[in-house]
Amino acid sequence: MNNLWTSGRLRLFAAGWIVFNGVFPVLWILFTSLKPEAELVQKPITWWPHSPTLMHYQHAFTEQPLLHYLSNSLIVASLSTVLSLLVATGAAYAIARLNLRYRQWILTAIVASSMFPLIALLVPIFEIMRSLGLLNSYTALILPYTVLNLPVCTLVLVSFFQSIPRDLENAAMIDGCSRFGALWHVVIPLAAPGVFTAGILAFVNAWDEFLLALSLNASAAMRTAPVGIAMYQGEYTFPWPLISAALIVTIIPVALLIALFQERVIGGLTQGGLKG
Amino acid sequence: MKSWRDPSEKTLALLLLAPAFFLIALIVIYPVGKLIYTSFFDMQLSGGARALEFVGLRNFEDALKDKEFWHAARNTVLITAVTVPGALVVGLGLALLANLPFRFKWVVRLSLLLPWALPLSFCGLIFAWFFHTDYGIVNDVFRMLGVRDPTMWLLDPSWAMAAICLTIIWKTSSFMALILLAGLQMIPRSLYEAAQVDGATRWQQFWQVTLPLLVPSIVVALIFRTLTALQTFDIPYTMTKGGPGSSTETLAMLIHKTTIDYLDLGYGSALAVFMFLMSMLVTAVYLRQIGKQA
Repeated sequence: MNNLWTSGRLRLFAAGWIVFNGVFPVLWILFTSLKPEAELVQKPITWWPHSPTLMHYQHAFTEQPLLHYLSNSLIVASLSTVLSLLVATGAAYAIARLNLRYRQWILTAIVASSMFPLIALLVPIFEIMRSLGLLNSYTALILPYTVLNLPVCTLVLVSFFQSIPRDLENAAMIDGCSRFGALWHVVIPLAAPGVFTAGILAFVNAWDEFLLALSLNASAAMRTAPVGIAMYQGEYTFPWPLISAALIVTIIPVALLIALFQERVIGGLTQGGLKG
Repeated sequence: MKSWRDPSEKTLALLLLAPAFFLIALIVIYPVGKLIYTSFFDMQLSGGARALEFVGLRNFEDALKDKEFWHAARNTVLITAVTVPGALVVGLGLALLANLPFRFKWVVRLSLLLPWALPLSFCGLIFAWFFHTDYGIVNDVFRMLGVRDPTMWLLDPSWAMAAICLTIIWKTSSFMALILLAGLQMIPRSLYEAAQVDGATRWQQFWQVTLPLLVPSIVVALIFRTLTALQTFDIPYTMTKGGPGSSTETLAMLIHKTTIDYLDLGYGSALAVFMFLMSMLVTAVYLRQIGKQA
């Protein structure tokens, strides 16, 4: 049995299965997006696209305002990520470094804010945004996304700050740096990988969010990509090739991010999960 | 007097923490208060401005008498009861496989990350296409296996629920696998070597070494998964819109429909309070567990 377990064949099977499980659904949508209309409604269905075409990608941008949806997503996701990072960096530095009583309680309180069910918060947030006239605005999404990402950003950053030797900072302060100066010139550059990791997690979360985007920014001009694409489906029609092409386009930025920085992403995720 | 550039530690700490607490107060604490407040009122924004009328517990009484509420609550509990253990078993399997020594680790890791990075709503759309009665790949595989009549996946209440649960398990098991994989990698090799010296088989090693040491990771993963399963919205919304009829409607979808579509904020708030209480119950169990571990 030991031989079987460590044998190359089993390892190959294991790797193959994990890759198939993770990649196949996306691969299938990619195939769908490349098949011409006639091939999609042919029975039995084809697996590999017989006469691949990029037509649907063109249509995804011309028949629907996909570019507009993507730019909405980009604006909301990047601004909320920057805000989250700014706020979380401050909070994490105070928790990790400053002489603070109840620091564990403060961290717990910030993390606990993510335990509240979003769907329950949606009702009052909708009411508040509506009375402030903020429905269908970037602010309506940026503020909640910033707060949703605070816990994970703070957790990741606290553990990064704790890993930076205190002496470096003290040395800078002895050399005449103010505390802000030491934070800006010494701690932040050293914590840059942590800030970056937290930033990726926050960006992906905001890019993927659906419920708030659907409820607060439903007007055609303000939809983010996930909401816009989900609304391609009419009452009785499902323009599958168009949806597939739009899905692939929207997935690409996030897929690139996780492909390039996978070790950091996994590190950040497990930190957030295990310590929370 | 100290200059503003070098404030005392306490002032600095307060200054740095203030934005975080302000934002949490604005987007979490105040809304929770407002939610509970509104749940005691009749507040319908549709059909012209109506006066806010205090109705006491009537919204809650209405909910308990509402068949749709019980139906949605039942669906939510069913989805939670099926997908949480389902994702744990699949995720544990993936984690054990991913923990084998590979040469191309990054491909394996990327394959675990991809489902996590995919928006839930996209998973719903992708799997709706998978389960399409005429052109879906699932029915095509069934056809090749010799099944004559195509299964009416999303058009039949029970099959639609099964399809939704399978989709949720696929989507969530890879995150589960990542958390468990981190737990697996923290188990010292020496324990396995010691077990081997004692003559334990692989199977025994799994039950006596791996699983007990993995329990803390499993508990944390399960509770997070339960909290999100109770809020299931995106996948059924994009796969079936709650249909056929309202057979796959979850509590979150009912809250969304009542509030955003019907603008009945009073009743919607009462429903959301139920959701809130359910989540708090799970969180309380979680915090107790953390306390035990510490």
